[in-house]
Amino acid sequence: MWLYLGTGLAIFFLMVVIGIVLRAEQAGWIPLDQGWFYALLSLHGIGMITAIAIAGLGTLWYFVYREIALDARIAYIAYGFFAAGVICVVVSVIPGEYGALWTMLYPLPFVGTYWPSWATGVWLVGNILVMIGFVVWCMQVLAGLLARYGGLRGVLGIDYVFHNHEFAEQHREPPPPQMFAAAITAIDGIISSSLGMTYGVAMIVHWLDPSVAINPLWAKNLIYQFGHTFANLTIYIAVAGLYVGLALCTKRKYHTSIPLVIGWWGTLLFVILAYFHHLYMDFVQPQVLQYIGEISSYLAAVPVVVVTVFSGILLVHRSGLKWGLGAMFLYAGMMGWVAGGIAAVLDATIPVNFDLHNTLWVPGHFHTYLLEGVLLFIIGWLFVSLEQRSGALSPLIVRWLAGVGIFGGGALFLLSFYIAGAQGVPRRYAVEPAPGPQMANFATVGALILLTGLMVVAVEAFRLRRLPESAELG
Amino acid sequence: MPGLPVLKVFVGAATGATAAMIAMALYRAREPVPQDVVFSKGYAVRRFWLALVLAVAVAAFVISIPRFPYPSVTATKHTYTIVAQQYSFTLPATVPADTPVVFAVTSRDVNHGFGIYDPQNRLVGQVQAMPDYVNRLPFEFHLRGRYTVRCLEYCGLGHAAMQESFEVR
Amino acid sequence: MTNRRIWAWAVLIATIVFALAPLYHSGDVSIPVHHFLHVVMLAGAALSALLFTAPVPLRQGKATWLVAAVVTPILAMFLMWPSEYALFERSPLLHAAQHLGLVGLGFITGYAGQRYAAGIGIVASLSLLLMGLLAIGGYGTSPPPQVLSPAAASVAQNQEPRPDVALGAAIFAQNCAACHGVQGQGGVGPSLIGEGTRKNFAQAVAWIKHPKPPMPELYPQTLNESDVRNVAAFVEALK
Repeated sequence: MWLYLGTGLAIFFLMVVIGIVLRAEQAGWIPLDQGWFYALLSLHGIGMITAIAIAGLGTLWYFVYREIALDARIAYIAYGFFAAGVICVVVSVIPGEYGALWTMLYPLPFVGTYWPSWATGVWLVGNILVMIGFVVWCMQVLAGLLARYGGLRGVLGIDYVFHNHEFAEQHREPPPPQMFAAAITAIDGIISSSLGMTYGVAMIVHWLDPSVAINPLWAKNLIYQFGHTFANLTIYIAVAGLYVGLALCTKRKYHTSIPLVIGWWGTLLFVILAYFHHLYMDFVQPQVLQYIGEISSYLAAVPVVVVTVFSGILLVHRSGLKWGLGAMFLYAGMMGWVAGGIAAVLDATIPVNFDLHNTLWVPGHFHTYLLEGVLLFIIGWLFVSLEQRSGALSPLIVRWLAGVGIFGGGALFLLSFYIAGAQGVPRRYAVEPAPGPQMANFATVGALILLTGLMVVAVEAFRLRRLPESAELG
Repeated sequence: MPGLPVLKVFVGAATGATAAMIAMALYRAREPVPQDVVFSKGYAVRRFWLALVLAVAVAAFVISIPRFPYPSVTATKHTYTIVAQQYSFTLPATVPADTPVVFAVTSRDVNHGFGIYDPQNRLVGQVQAMPDYVNRLPFEFHLRGRYTVRCLEYCGLGHAAMQESFEVR
Repeated sequence: MTNRRIWAWAVLIATIVFALAPLYHSGDVSIPVHHFLHVVMLAGAALSALLFTAPVPLRQGKATWLVAAVVTPILAMFLMWPSEYALFERSPLLHAAQHLGLVGLGFITGYAGQRYAAGIGIVASLSLLLMGLLAIGGYGTSPPPQVLSPAAASVAQNQEPRPDVALGAAIFAQNCAACHGVQGQGGVGPSLIGEGTRKNFAQAVAWIKHPKPPMPELYPQTLNESDVRNVAAFVEALK
């Protein structure tokens, strides 16, 4: 777990720095060649998603491993693929200056490029390597779950829901909540990676042989299906840390219940279908897919607010927990998830999307999810395990500094995206029209405060790590 | 729907939700009670909460449908061909106001976005410009003046510079 | 031999016979249909592999099997390389060999998956078939470029042999100003002021026709021969 977590968080920090450079360029604080802006933006995008995925996959693997024997060597092999992929991607940007962004829309990496063709090839190969690593991870975890809970029926809790009386009479136990996170990640991960790999192969074939035609609408569907699902799954990967961590902090039990299982079935289905919301502005898409996109995007939010967040609140309510950084981050992560979700659901409404699509609103909402949602679940779990291990909590001043940095700085950083986006400032502009650059000033300041908060957190994590193990464990 | 009202809805809702969650965490926090007490009350509340959430989702879906921008008529007297390419648009010089028009948008090379900004620099509509396909955007202009078109899909180095304008009168 | 093994052999043999079709059947199929036929072969091979390896105790096996099950679908997608169809179709033997390759990869996917852990062979095979079916949608095919009415460009179709700087100015405003500035002063692209001292007319024309990226290639799709000459004349005159 620590290898994945450490690598993921280290890359994440680097990506934060790159992100600040980008926002500072838009504010006019530092000059940056436009080609490099887009190259760094490409690296920032793919780096962030991959880093947070790697960190989360490490923690989720650990939760599964606690109950089910998994071969650690396979986790290392998956890590190897991730590492190889990351190295390829980095090389394609530095020095390759690849700049087609991570959701590259065919025919973009091939037409009118300002980077050498080899960078495109290396980027594509890197992407495929990362996908292979991910699928290996998914299949290993899925195999373990299938073996332990008796096939797909057991893993998905079908008997538990539909034959509940017989289930209880046979004294059978359904899988604990974090196993549902693992199962849905693995299943949706394999499905969307199939699409991603198809796209990856098609792109590589076209790179090698430009006479191969590729349908741009088909390509758009594939890349957005894979991209959306992969990014969305990072939240569900990290949510296992919420389940386990909050239960530990509050010294309460978090059970599997029928609503929880049905909620996860909803997630399983709607996360796969929601991706159509990226194609709302492609009017040539069959209309029915747009409808499916909107209703799926809405319904994907239901298990979140009705099961996970609701239960999280119940766990914490009048539980007498002590608010260490772990509990603070886990709970705040839920708030970030809800806030980002509100922004997302608004943008997923087609008449609204008509005015917000591809504006800065979009990075506003996903940065909310990632910085104040997924990241907080992951470092929340990190601190819960450190706190449990050492029996110590962080001092009040540290908690305040971290909180002001991450939430205050974060709010400033995020609001500038939303405000600019609401005023129509487009995304992915190296030079933005007004009021973009003015907002970028606030964003850069906010991001610097956020980075300071993260550094305080990092120092505190290392301090807790160095404390001796406590005899009393939660 | 234009951006600023949406922003207000978002800030209001997000602040409200955050405040509610903080309140739930802090409410009588110094008087802990056993888990069963909290959860049994919570589950009772949850039924209503689920019904409310589903009702809002379905209502929002139903309300949004008539406001979809998709064309039901494919050709009118005023159909303008818009060709996007790296890094310019071909646009008509003028477009009549208070008349239903259709923009037939395509691209010569990569994906672009046809984003229409009104004279007050508000984004009022958009559609994707894809090679090998034509997206038809029905529109009606009421505010007269100079409208700007910006590219709303990353298309390469000149993406931020890709800007043209036309007059509505 | 158990029932299951009989079925496994039957499916495998039927698949191989089907795969050898290029040797006994000639005729063209479109790329999407061709992809579909390949998916049928992959499905047959994977199914037979699953029948051969079932039942397996629930356990987890070696990493090699897992990696193989993940990588073979990718290799199969490469083998379904669309433009090579023309090459394969010229030689029935090569074509049949390609098909046998697909059968082999499909078989390994199912077999390796099941050898790794029960159920994973099914998962890997479904992933493989999903990828193959997706290919039908756009791997190697695209709708033809839309026929458009002449773009409302303000450029006259002039056949004057002498380049017209005024027309060139209009072309420049339409196509070049976004990157080179309204007066050629530069922006995303370099300044063109004084370009006449850096390139002569012939060089300017050549550059516009075959520029180095990131400058887009506008000839001959956007600009025709006389457009290029006119705008080159305009640029050459920029001071």
